[in-house]
Order: sequence, then C-alpha cells, then structure tokens
Amino acid sequence: MGVFGSIRVLRLRAGFWESIKSGLLKDDTTQVIETSPEPQVEEPLPEEFVLIEKTQPDGAIEQIIFSSGGDVDVYDLQSLCDKVGWPRRPLSKLAAALKNSYMVATLHSIRKSPEPEGGDQKKLIGMARATSDHAFNATIWDVLVDPSYQGQGLGKTLVENIIRALLQRDIGNITLFADSQVVEFYRNLGFEPDPEGIKGMFWYPKF
Amino acid sequence: MEVAVVGGSTRQILGSYRGKCMELRWERRNIRSKAKGEKEKRVSVKNKKEKVPIYISTNPSHINSEELRDLCSACNHSCHRFPKYLDCDTDVVEAVDIHKLRTALSHSSLVVSVFCKPTDVLLYTTKSSSEINTTSNKNIQIQIQGLGLGLGLKDLFQQLMPVTPFNAQLVGFGRAVSDFGLTASIYDVMVIPSLRGMGIGRMILKRLVRMLASRDIYDIAAVCSEKERMFFKACGFGDDILGSTTMMYSRKVSTYDEGDQLVIRAGQKLLLAPALKETSASLKAKNS
Repeated sequence: MGVFGSIRVLRLRAGFWESIKSGLLKDDTTQVIETSPEPQVEEPLPEEFVLIEKTQPDGAIEQIIFSSGGDVDVYDLQSLCDKVGWPRRPLSKLAAALKNSYMVATLHSIRKSPEPEGGDQKKLIGMARATSDHAFNATIWDVLVDPSYQGQGLGKTLVENIIRALLQRDIGNITLFADSQVVEFYRNLGFEPDPEGIKGMFWYPKF
Repeated sequence: MEVAVVGGSTRQILGSYRGKCMELRWERRNIRSKAKGEKEKRVSVKNKKEKVPIYISTNPSHINSEELRDLCSACNHSCHRFPKYLDCDTDVVEAVDIHKLRTALSHSSLVVSVFCKPTDVLLYTTKSSSEINTTSNKNIQIQIQGLGLGLGLKDLFQQLMPVTPFNAQLVGFGRAVSDFGLTASIYDVMVIPSLRGMGIGRMILKRLVRMLASRDIYDIAAVCSEKERMFFKACGFGDDILGSTTMMYSRKVSTYDEGDQLVIRAGQKLLLAPALKETSASLKAKNS
C-alpha cells in the first residue's frame, strides 16, 4: 500500500506443524523391551515453506523459501561460498558431501516478476547441512547466508530448523565447530562452547 | 604356531573400495613387574613381551549389537555425551539403548571391531587385576601354566584355533560417520579395560583414519572428553589449526518456558528444541 514494501509471514502447512505441536517428552527410567520392530522412519521428511514474502517497490514479489529437501545445485553452492569468502573446494567433493549428509537445509529467494509474462528468478541465498549417525550424534557443518541477506535472522532459521529436525529424531549430541567470529551467534542459539571440558580434536596428516 | 593372514577381498558397503577388511594381528603386551618401595624387595624390572592374537575387522556384519552394548558397559561408555548415571554417588553410566545402537551402527560410514579369544581376555583380566610384585608374579606364572595343564584336549584345541570374529569376544571398537566428500567424525572408540595400553585403541584409530584418507577425506574430527584427549593426542590428533571452538547444543528446559515444547532426553540432559515461529494470524488472535 505505502511506498515501502509490506512483509508478510505466511502460515506454514497445517499438518506438519500440528504433528510437532503435540510435543514429545521422554521420561522413561525403566527399560522398555520392544517386541515389535521399530518404525522405519529413516530420513527426515523433506519440508518446504515460505519464510518471508516481500512486495518490492517495483511490484515484484520476493519470497524466501526454506527447504530441507536438499535440492542444491552444486554450482550455485560454489558461487555462494565464493560470496561469503570461503576457500574453493572441488565440486565433486561438495556434491558427495551434500548427497551423504543427513540433512541439507536451504534458503532460496524467488523473485516473481511484476509483468504477467515475466519469469521467476530463483537463487540460492543460504544453506546449512548436518551429518549424523541417525541415533546419537550429529555435526552441523557449512552454515552460510548470502552477505546481502545477512542480519535478518535467516541463518538462525536455518540452524534452528536443523536442530528441531535432529531433536525430533531423538539425536541429542549436536555439535559444531565455530570460527571465533560466530561463537556468539551460536551461543544465542543455545550452543555452549567446550561444555564440561569436551573438545573437538582434528587429525593431522603426517607427510 | 604358523597362521596365515586371513584376508578376504570383500566389497565394502559404501563405495567400491576393494581391500582387506579382516585380518589377524598380534599385539605385544609389556609385562613389567614393579618393584616395591622397600629396598629389600627390589628386583630387576622384567620386560616380558607377550603376544596376544587379535582379529581386527572393518566388516560391519561381524558386529553383534548385543555384544557391542556389553562392551560399552564393560568400558563404562555411554553414547550420550552427558550420560545419565545409575545412581547419584556412582560413575557407572546407564546401559546403551540397543535400538539406537543398531541404528547408529547401520548409519555409521565405517566401523572397526577388534576380537580376542575369551581365554586370552580372561588371562589378562586376571593379570591386570592382581598385585604386581615378584612373589605374586611367580604365582601368576604358575597359575597360567596350571591353566594350560589343567585344560582338557578340547580346550587345548580351542587354544590352537586362530581367532575369528565367530569364536572370539569383542574387545575393541570404533566408528566414524562421514559425508564421503569433505568431513568425518569419529565416535565411540573403546577397548576393554584389561587390554588397554597395548596399542589396540591406537590401531582402531589408525585403521579408521587410513580408510578415510584412502577416500580423500582429511578433515577428521573427534569430539572427546578430558580423559580421552590424551589418547587422541597420542594418536596424532590435535587442536584445530583454524582455531575453531567446539560447541554443543545444550538449551535446557527452564521454568519460564510455557506452551507446547519439544523436549528430548539425551543422557542426563533434557534438551529444549527451538520454538516455532509465531505467525501473524496467531498473534492477532492472542491480542484480540
């Protein structure tokens, strides 16, 4: 209506949130011996929803879409990594890493043109991924958001959704290795540095 | 006893890496007899090297999940980073959930398991738990010989049989989870207490690292507690060269939290999941 665009946060798909809202409180101190086979819910159900919708001054609509389906074009990812200033890694390795990750969460920006015949422009603006053994441990790697979209809470959304998905699957050891400049960012998300003396150690190849 | 190395060329489950995935090894054990404080009872330190046959395998099908759970208990190892203790004044952790263990095993990229003959395990359990001085050492020697003589033909035959995963006890384990592209994480490396200090743990770690390196993965992380740090350091692990900080999710339930929450128990911690975002529709409903 006014000169500046309006921001609307859209309602998420009903069914998905309803199922989460019921919540899970595990409180068993007794051993339950299950005779029935465990449910075969292997991979997290991929979800996609519109996070933010903005109407721009020229009438175009920009949507920021969150997806956990892991549909990432490796070339897009490479250019996003370039934008944030990360060193280049071989494309084949990036592709393999994405394929074998437990969860890949992405943020895409879709710009719908004001003209009726104008097409949509889709670009990757954020990504985060986690590897896991599906039972106890998970490690979050490679959290990145396009610099021109930073400061809006998008990185927070990415990480929070991954944490939520992991906790839903009862995966309790969620670890990550943060560079010094992002330690505060993760602290605000509920991460604790070196809890109870736990540290990560890395292998050093001896040449 | 001449035993050929049993090496089958088996297709590894993930990828087409053809290689030995089972082999027989011998570990050396240093047996030193410590002299007692008093001068009168001082004796020369004996460096008796003994070889223990062990079987190291990277084949996941050699692992029995119940045996692994028992190994975890024997090592007092919990797969949770902050384990729940059985009692408030004990440091014995609660047993590992077998279903989760099976899931974890099936989704681990690499596993290494070490087997040893039950008789050998028993032998070293007796040795390590006894007092170490000359007189008792002699007693042990006699005991061992006695064991040998006292055994029947069947047992002697058993002793001569090479150790395989099917007739032996699981004594060591380690696993790694990787994306087979960039990174890998090592979890749950353990060796039963009586066979520690022999290099088995180091062997497990070396094997994991070697397998990862052969797939071009050099970014290998291991999250470890204070106690485990020395072990990893001795095996060539160190602090991150890029100086990153290890962080773990630890947001807990507090009395101020209200409404629907997703809370899960991980060992002794009750973790609270990030809240769902309020939508503009529900906010309006609240305010009206």
